[in-house]
Amino acid sequence: MASSHAKDTSFLGSRIPQEVESMSKNLKDVDQETFRKILKAVVSALEGKDCREVMKAVAESSTISQERLSHIIAGMYRVLSEAIRIPTASLRQEAFKEDLRELRIPEDFITDFASVVFGNRRAVLEAATSQNDPHLPTIEDFKWRVDVAISTSSLARALQPSVLMQIKLSDGSFHRFEVPVSKFQELRYNVALILKEMNDLEKRSILKIQD
Amino acid sequence: MGDAEAAKALNGLLIGIMQKVYHNNGEVTDQLLREQLYPEVPQDAFTALHDKMKHLLKSIASADMDHAQLEAFLTAQTRKQGSGGVTAEQAAVLSRFWKSQRPRIRESLLAQSRWEPGLRGLSWRVDLQTAASRGDAAHGGLVALVELELGRTGQDSEFVCLEFDEARVNQMLKKMADIQDSIDRISQRA
Repeated sequence: MASSHAKDTSFLGSRIPQEVESMSKNLKDVDQETFRKILKAVVSALEGKDCREVMKAVAESSTISQERLSHIIAGMYRVLSEAIRIPTASLRQEAFKEDLRELRIPEDFITDFASVVFGNRRAVLEAATSQNDPHLPTIEDFKWRVDVAISTSSLARALQPSVLMQIKLSDGSFHRFEVPVSKFQELRYNVALILKEMNDLEKRSILKIQD
Repeated sequence: MGDAEAAKALNGLLIGIMQKVYHNNGEVTDQLLREQLYPEVPQDAFTALHDKMKHLLKSIASADMDHAQLEAFLTAQTRKQGSGGVTAEQAAVLSRFWKSQRPRIRESLLAQSRWEPGLRGLSWRVDLQTAASRGDAAHGGLVALVELELGRTGQDSEFVCLEFDEARVNQMLKKMADIQDSIDRISQRA
């Protein structure tokens, strides 16, 4: 791409992704109303919503061919997801617009793209895309019961409390385990310690990492 | 065998029985105990002593006797006539042994009636998410990673890894406080 030699690398990388290039070609003579409809559908897809119905409505109401439409959608998705993963501190609005201008995207569309990437939807989009980051499972449900063993086959007078815990994880698995009181104290102490550690870290400037 | 030596041998025998019966230590056999502790005692006499001590220990352990109960029990045993009873020296050894081993034996007996996997340990770390393939650090925040070690008695541990944000840790801590209240209420009643 000859154009990208002139300045710093585009936010799309030194080699413009193919779907973005073909979006640019296919956007010619698309009216702004249609563009906005498609953009809205792509944004809701990025937010993790089911947008099949919306897409279908767009496809039926517009005169653009199915094939061109798919090129446009794929390109938009790529432009937005690439732009959102870069912190706003690193990708200035002007640089973003300039990169899109170099792809010969009409100015009105560029303004619409910028309003998604730098507007008030940004926080929602970031939160939604972060759902796709690699995660360990989280606890979805936590049930407990405190038992006292009164008497057992090996101990006539046990009178020993213990905690039975059952956790359901976000990956769908269940775990049930018994926690003797001494272990329970250890567990509780550590959970309190984790919270304290998190609170302390938040107060410190370590969280304000800038790039 | 002098008194001190006899006491030492008996204490050894009790520890051997404890290892075998309560800690499932398969390396300790009757034969080994006899060879190490009572090499000069005939097999019959050793077996009789071994079985008597095992039986006494079982009675003491299953009732989880406290000091007063133990003294009463041992006094009754020393008054028994014939081969069923114990000497005052043996009673003293039993008393000392039980005092030092009671918590461990109790724990092992409790574990025998525990069928769910138990919590063996946990380790954790707090991470700051700074970047990912999608999305940036602005919303990353702090993440606590917790590893729970679970296992049934005599089996290998299983590890469960979890992730918590601050709100979830807070929730968990509240539940822990509820559990603690519940335990405290029971302890007060007892």
